[in-house]
Amino acid sequence: MTAKRKANIIIRHIVLAFLAFIWLVPVVWLIVTSLSTVKGVSGKHFFPEHWTLANYNQLFFQTDTAANFPAWFKNTFIVAIFTCIISSVFVLMVSYAFSCMRFKGRKQLMSFSIILGMFPGVLSMIAVYFVLKMLGLTDSLVGLIFVYSAGSGLGFLILKGFFDTIPASLREAARLEGASEATIFTRIIIPLSKPMIVYTVINSFLGPWMDFVMARIMIKSKDSADWTVAIGLYNLLQKTLVGDYFSVFCAGGVMIAIPISILFVVMQKFYVEGVTGGAVKG
Amino acid sequence: MKKMLNAFKKYFADFGTAVAKGDIWCKLSLLVMGAGYWGRKQIVKGIIMTVLEVVVLLFTGLFSINYIKDLGTLGTVQYEAKFDPLTMKNTVNDYDNSLLILLYGIVGIIVIVAFILLYISNMKAVYRLQLMKENGEHINSFREDLKELINGKFYVTLLTLPSIGVILMNIVPILFMSCVAFTNYDIDHMPPNYLFTWTGLSNFKNMFTGGATITFSYAFIRILAWTMIWAVTATFTTFIGGILLAKLINHQNTYFKKVWRALFVVTIAIPQFVTLLLVSKMFSDHGIVNTWCSNLGLTSFLRDAGVISGNFIPFLSKPGWSHVMIILINIWVGVPYQMLTATGILMNIPTDQLESARIDGANKWQIFWKITMPYILFICGPSLIQSVIANINNFNVIYLLTSGTATANMAFANSNAKETDLLITWLFTLTNDNSNYKMASVIGIISFVICALLTLLSYSRMIKGDKEEVYQ
Repeated sequence: MTAKRKANIIIRHIVLAFLAFIWLVPVVWLIVTSLSTVKGVSGKHFFPEHWTLANYNQLFFQTDTAANFPAWFKNTFIVAIFTCIISSVFVLMVSYAFSCMRFKGRKQLMSFSIILGMFPGVLSMIAVYFVLKMLGLTDSLVGLIFVYSAGSGLGFLILKGFFDTIPASLREAARLEGASEATIFTRIIIPLSKPMIVYTVINSFLGPWMDFVMARIMIKSKDSADWTVAIGLYNLLQKTLVGDYFSVFCAGGVMIAIPISILFVVMQKFYVEGVTGGAVKG
Repeated sequence: MKKMLNAFKKYFADFGTAVAKGDIWCKLSLLVMGAGYWGRKQIVKGIIMTVLEVVVLLFTGLFSINYIKDLGTLGTVQYEAKFDPLTMKNTVNDYDNSLLILLYGIVGIIVIVAFILLYISNMKAVYRLQLMKENGEHINSFREDLKELINGKFYVTLLTLPSIGVILMNIVPILFMSCVAFTNYDIDHMPPNYLFTWTGLSNFKNMFTGGATITFSYAFIRILAWTMIWAVTATFTTFIGGILLAKLINHQNTYFKKVWRALFVVTIAIPQFVTLLLVSKMFSDHGIVNTWCSNLGLTSFLRDAGVISGNFIPFLSKPGWSHVMIILINIWVGVPYQMLTATGILMNIPTDQLESARIDGANKWQIFWKITMPYILFICGPSLIQSVIANINNFNVIYLLTSGTATANMAFANSNAKETDLLITWLFTLTNDNSNYKMASVIGIISFVICALLTLLSYSRMIKGDKEEVYQ
């Protein structure tokens, strides 16, 4: 090992360690503050002077009008489950129709969907609010599920790309055996694309946990039991509340980060598998 | 273009033929849509079509026509409540609700257009049935039609529900928003108590040229400029940062690659609204970072240098400072994500090119800038434009970092804006806090146009890169 290479390795790791330090400071702060006895934002000390688990206790068992984490978690969980089911099914259906079937106007419809899908839904959020009001769905979980899943058919690009890599000869063979399109879809294509489907499912499950703006627009209720995690935690940082609830906010942040991290790691694995799996078959 | 025109012509010509050459059943279908099917013994299909026709006619005739006819004025009768001393209750007159007129009007028109299309294709289908009958071909029974829905016409089954969702969630809102931009719907014209009406292009005029009291054009120009600067800088800083980080981690001299990668990925897994709110507290005027800076003597150094006036550094509360901080924090947010993408791409660079460049005597920087970067740009071109669009509408970063601060600039405050606002956060404040729907819709339309132009740029590339037939 030359001296030059040694120096390179050392510098490289010092730079990486420095970067990792910067990237982890807020994460560490989130965790240590959630264990602090000081309720408000501590501007003086990074690490708390006294440690406690009381914030977690308060988060789960001592709910009040401002902080009702169990209800938020439950609401978000319900929304996420239904969103996940509906939008995964929608994406699967659209992807199959566009990838494996040939019909008149398919290309045009696909181009139109791609263009439409590129416009961020946030832009027309006022109008979405009025449409939901017309349907009587504002301030309800059903409305949120609708917002997250109704337009999800437009997100077909990744899965369609994967379906494209499944050899058409498989479908041909099944058709010769007398299978209908529905059978091919459920018995051949879906089992073959399991990794990609897991990716789609987890992705759509995570959406409602990560979203802030749509929930903020759709849920105007003053009752904290109607909120989602995002609105609830945001509300804890309002000027009047932050002094008493900042460490509770941090505890809540940790509590939703843990399940999401796990799902995230699982999803990464399947995503890589899905992509390379498709490539191998091609 | 000509092809489209011809297809359009043929569409109506076919309908004409069907009407002219159809027999009595076909002609009856002009009135009762199911008649043509009944004539060929497709009883159930005929009933379904007829019921559909009746439902649409009833919906339009009894319900939506009331709103469609008022679309021109958006209502004329204002809400009035009179106290009735006999019943001790308020009696309300039969008032018009502009909002419902506009919304139901749009829905009603969509239903009518869809019905006309259905009507035309129904005529053609009926005529086709007639021809099939004349040629002695087999005509499907209802059972066979149903079977077709899970086989040859499976795509109809698959696409129906998602399409309805997209129409409700994407198309109706976009149409509605475009319409509101041409009305005077704001806090002084809130249904149901007040009416709003069409005002033509005056909102656009206000936005671009400025009114007497409210200076929308002042804020608009500055916010538009900052939005574009932000979108481009945010995209490129995270993009380049991600590639550099990926190169740093994936180098042969780096040990524990997986650990390093995991350390950075941890930050993605925490939801953005948590990290951003947290970081906004860290950098607040009396936050932990300010304590560090004053302990290190940085604060007093800057004060002596005349850069700041107070005894803290206004990271997120003064324009200029906050602009820079937002971009820096966004690097923190975006780089790990880009690093993951870039890792995938870097692993797939064809090594023979790198090899031959090395043999030709290119040094590392030359290889990076002349081979690696062009390759990555080629692969990522469309997705880069996509992320510029995403950043134009990056609500979270801006709103969560700066929602606690107010502007000191009256010209901004008059139009409910802040120096650090993007078009999208401005739109949000206008609607959510100020009910100024008309101006918000104008901003929405402008953002749409910008996004559409960028979309078209990347779209042609994406279609060309569509490899759907390669593997099949």
